Amino acid sequence: MATLFAALRRLYLSIYNWTVFIGWFQVLFLALKSLKESGHEHVYNAVEKPLLLAQSAAALEILHGLIGLVRSPVSSTLPQVGSRLYLTWGILWSFPEIRTHILVSSLVISWSITEIIRYSFFGMKEAFGFAPSWHLWLRYSSFLVLYPTGISSEVGLVYFALPYIKGSEKYSVRMPNKWNFSLDYFYLAILALGFYVPGSPHLYRYMLAQRKRALSKSKKE
Amino acid sequence: MKVTLVSRSGREVIKGGLELHDSATVADLQEAIHKRTKKFYPSRQRLTLPVPPGSKERPVVLNYKKGLKDYCDGNQNNITVVFKDLGPQVSYPTLFFFEYLGPLILYPTFYYFPVYQFFGYKVERVIHPVQTYALYYWCFHYFKRIMETFFIHRFSHATSPLSNVFRNCAYYWTFGAYIAYYVNHPLYTPVSDLQMKIGFGFGLICQLANFYCHIILKNLRSPDGSGGYQIPSGFLFNIVTCANYTTEIYQWLGFNIATQTVAGYVFLVVATSIMTNWALAKHRRLKKLFDGKEGRPKYPRRWVILPPFL
Repeated sequence: MATLFAALRRLYLSIYNWTVFIGWFQVLFLALKSLKESGHEHVYNAVEKPLLLAQSAAALEILHGLIGLVRSPVSSTLPQVGSRLYLTWGILWSFPEIRTHILVSSLVISWSITEIIRYSFFGMKEAFGFAPSWHLWLRYSSFLVLYPTGISSEVGLVYFALPYIKGSEKYSVRMPNKWNFSLDYFYLAILALGFYVPGSPHLYRYMLAQRKRALSKSKKE
Repeated sequence: MKVTLVSRSGREVIKGGLELHDSATVADLQEAIHKRTKKFYPSRQRLTLPVPPGSKERPVVLNYKKGLKDYCDGNQNNITVVFKDLGPQVSYPTLFFFEYLGPLILYPTFYYFPVYQFFGYKVERVIHPVQTYALYYWCFHYFKRIMETFFIHRFSHATSPLSNVFRNCAYYWTFGAYIAYYVNHPLYTPVSDLQMKIGFGFGLICQLANFYCHIILKNLRSPDGSGGYQIPSGFLFNIVTCANYTTEIYQWLGFNIATQTVAGYVFLVVATSIMTNWALAKHRRLKKLFDGKEGRPKYPRRWVILPPFL
């Protein structure tokens, strides 16, 4: 029973990782292609479908952590996946005016390279039980550059979307109502920007610690 | 006797160690450390016995009432103690006082002062009766908690790290302001008169029950805070392990039934999950402590916090 479960788990995680890998690979390919052929204004429209699919599939990672399928703690997956979902659905998908911004290109490229390395790394480990050492090194080193570029693109896009958010009443709830509730999406966006201030250095330090642990472990073996 | 004081990394904290008389207690050692390093008053110090390297066992924490001799093997005349700085400490009454002071001041501010002008509402406020009752209910609740802190509660730990003051105040003050904003809002929509009476009535009964629970808990401990863990019994404790949390949760439910804000229900869910974690830990500890073996009483079958669910 236990071995059956372990085999099913491996099969499921292999399929999951490689499927999402294909999604991100498409994102990178389409982004670079449209950058070359038609300019950065068209990047979002080119990658929209695989981007929304691949990024939404990451929500399953929170579930994987919750039910104990993978070891990564929910407290670190939730803010990472949450902020990405906020960017893709809450900003890019919801406010088309921002889609032509140059930062969309740097965002999509940073995200997709990180995820291509990450999903193929875990896909290798689940499917074949190992990953080459250069792959391990890439998995725990690429963030050194790609996190700063990705996170500054995220912050920049929320910031430049602020006027469009304020201009529209989208997702905002106003008083009076029976449940005495109100929501201002504009202030929510400012709050989100506020979370990046302590959040990004925290995440970066967390990844640095992970890197130290993962790379020193591989040396010992 | 000679005491060698080392940090967890093995470095000597006080050069040359300390010389104490043979009948010295752990408290005497703490005083001696305090004398040498003014910064480390006793409640800041955590003293443990060294554990062999690689051992996964938890270190033994020295009890300040015991003699140092009790921790020496045989009749050796020297002992090595591991010292850890717990950081600045505050007493529990101080911590609780500042936690509750925020909501007690912030809530009336929203009721009495024209704060909504700053949020862009220029209209004249018409105050509904439920908003006035809610103000009294809220202030009574936090006044009760401050009074209980100073005159009822007995704490098992004397102090708490200073950083908890900032964390806990952020929690109580933010939620206090968040709820106060909606209940006192110029565009507030009240519930029916009957619903309001049911809510406040039920909440008030729960607050009184909560007060009685706190008196029962106080009587479980001796005045100096010692006595260890006891099986709580009497009143609601015969049914629920943490009846004090149960009544606290239900009194917030009463407030929310009467005032009906999403903000209040969000607070209720967060507070319930925090208290549930504490209650589960306490229930587990009591069940482990009172296992019914070797003459120890057996912990009776009880709900943990939220009958009839948990």
